[in-house]
Amino acid sequence: MADVIMPKMGDAMTEGKVIRWYKNAGDAVKKGEPLLEIETDKVNLDLEAEQDGTLGDVAAAAGQMVEVGGVLATILAEGEKAEPKRVAPAAAPAKEQDSKSAPDSAPSRRAIDKKDSIKKSTGEYGEAIDMKAPRIDRTAPAANVVAMPQAEGGRRRSSPLARKMARDMGVSLEEIQGSGPGGRIVASDIKNFKPAAAPQSQKPKAPALPPVQQLETKDIPLSAMRRTIAKRLAESTGPIPHFYVTAEYDVTNLLALREQLNEIEGIKTSVNDFIVRAAALAIRHHPNVNASWGDDAITQHGEVHIGIAVSTPEGLITPVVRNADEKSVSDIAAEVRSLADKAKNRKLMPNEYQGSTFTISNLGAWGIEQFTGIINPPNVAILAIGAATAQPVVIDRQVVIRDRMKVTMSCDHRVVDGALGAEYLRTLRSYLEQPLRLVL
Amino acid sequence: MSEKSYRDAIRDAMMEEMDRDPNVLIMGEDIGVYEGTFRITAGMLKKYGGKRVIDTPIAEAGMVGTAVGMAMLGLRPIVEMMTMNFAIVAADQILNHAAKVRYFSGGQVDVPVVIRGPQGAGVQLSAQHSQTFESFYAHFPGIKVVAPATPADAKGLLKTSIRGRDPVIFLESAALYGMKGEVPDDPNFTVPFGVSRVAREGSDVTIVSYSRMLQMSLIAAEKLSQDEGIECEVIDLRTLRPLDLEPAYASVTKTHRCVVVQEQWKPFGAAAEIAASITETVFDELDAPVARVTGEDVPMPYARNLELLATPHEQHVIAAVKKVMYANG
Repeated sequence: MADVIMPKMGDAMTEGKVIRWYKNAGDAVKKGEPLLEIETDKVNLDLEAEQDGTLGDVAAAAGQMVEVGGVLATILAEGEKAEPKRVAPAAAPAKEQDSKSAPDSAPSRRAIDKKDSIKKSTGEYGEAIDMKAPRIDRTAPAANVVAMPQAEGGRRRSSPLARKMARDMGVSLEEIQGSGPGGRIVASDIKNFKPAAAPQSQKPKAPALPPVQQLETKDIPLSAMRRTIAKRLAESTGPIPHFYVTAEYDVTNLLALREQLNEIEGIKTSVNDFIVRAAALAIRHHPNVNASWGDDAITQHGEVHIGIAVSTPEGLITPVVRNADEKSVSDIAAEVRSLADKAKNRKLMPNEYQGSTFTISNLGAWGIEQFTGIINPPNVAILAIGAATAQPVVIDRQVVIRDRMKVTMSCDHRVVDGALGAEYLRTLRSYLEQPLRLVL
Repeated sequence: MSEKSYRDAIRDAMMEEMDRDPNVLIMGEDIGVYEGTFRITAGMLKKYGGKRVIDTPIAEAGMVGTAVGMAMLGLRPIVEMMTMNFAIVAADQILNHAAKVRYFSGGQVDVPVVIRGPQGAGVQLSAQHSQTFESFYAHFPGIKVVAPATPADAKGLLKTSIRGRDPVIFLESAALYGMKGEVPDDPNFTVPFGVSRVAREGSDVTIVSYSRMLQMSLIAAEKLSQDEGIECEVIDLRTLRPLDLEPAYASVTKTHRCVVVQEQWKPFGAAAEIAASITETVFDELDAPVARVTGEDVPMPYARNLELLATPHEQHVIAAVKKVMYANG
């Protein structure tokens, strides 16, 4: 007899929710077959049977929260009888657990990304999932799947001819809407494509208002993700003494540099990608902002892992660009795009959203000029990036128009003092205002 | 030039070659006194006598084995199969002997034998007698595989087959025997192997085919031109081994879309080989996946309505052309 238990999918995970069972009590199950889908605070996962047998009593019904290490069901080998029905321990705030059910023994359990199960799926289950998703060879053990292929998520279908024409015409496929099956970009799409007019001749249209919604009184059940956000951010503002420092940078040169880089075929960067690199490089000068508070000591981190706040329909998540100080702007751009796509599809693996040492949140795309971020523990600082706007400024006693951008740094005063925050922002200024430093 | 049927063009080719070369002879079941089940050999026994027009027992392996021996010793036998389906009985002689004797002899001995006969569906001969064999034979090195679509090509290619050094599988379409077309009278007219032709010019989609499906593709192309304004370029492969896809590559480079039409079953068929070669060679020119039009994956039914349903129809070609044009979804 083997127990199927709620796996621990990351250090922060204390509980998971049973979404649905693919098998019922009494069903025969095969090793490797998906048994149920669970929702953790970050991702949805399928749990597989670890041995052949019959599914015994199901201890946790769909919808139930189960703490890490809690028994979800048992698998009975041939001839074994079910023990008296057990009930999964309901999720409770994490507390001391006896060594037998310690969550530390769980990480070896195989949990797989949903699409991993396509080749094993049958019948109803097969119909329940999106069979049109790109097929990926899953012959490698699922537990070892660390990085998804780069193309996942961001890939756009296009015919070979369309790609050739786009190359010849210097048109990026990203800008083109495909009219073929499954959104495939075909030759006629390239032929009919009209590049966006040069910015100066283009009169910006006023943005439409978001759709008016029906007003009603209703309860929106807390998802595991929303619960986690609430818990962690409350934990942050409560015990962490925040203070804020703001600087305004002249990013005219940065925007020009970005435009030049984006003219190079195959490179597509956003302003934020430059900020990620600048923030990471500035940390090299001030490693004490790249730290965590502990009761006995402050841990200063030897590597720079930048968390990027990404908004998804379910809520906020911060995928991590690891060793961002060692990566080029274009590498960061590609990585952030891929991570953001996965975040939006809830496909991030724990190692892709855990372990940040510093966080950046950017609301520039929403036209926000300045805001303050709440520190993402165990980080001790977060940068809140506003929109770059054209402003009249005085240079050499002349009024000129320059692009300005406000950055606010929230600091954990237990670790980062005011002067240190100010020094960090001054170093960041050197990188953002002399952006060639970022490509040196 | 004179107008001839596909059947008469084949007979003319054989008789011209028998007049030209006393080593050419023909053997087969019911080809002499009975003058052939499809009347291909009408008048030949009378003209050339029993030594060169040989009625055989119903023993295909024996016929082909005899012909291979004759060919090794300098004769140029033609073996008529009542239908190419019967040649399966002689497959060992064809594939293991005719196709390999030159190789085994270190190039010393040629086997210039022509094995010809009708194949294909469309004349209600049911499951055992309606099959097509081009991909089966074209798979093997050492033999040529010929599949003419017109009377002129039937004549010109058969003469090249008889004059050559190699064993040739000459696949005639039973449904084309009565088809008429202009055929050159010149006794030295031949059509070389491995030279495909553009049977119809067009700019929108390339259709690649051979034998009877080529004729059907041309009908589909005319309909598409009239009804939809879509102009298809139709390539006639003529021989599957050697296979000349250069005109198809050139055409796809122009049209960027391709449909391959074959009568046989889809799995592992000639269209698969052709589509793969096009994808390998002119990948960057393709605006849509190469489409295949094939027969249904069933033994050929006898009933007329079912036979029609199981074989490719011009409507299938039209639908495939529209699909690669991204027209009608």
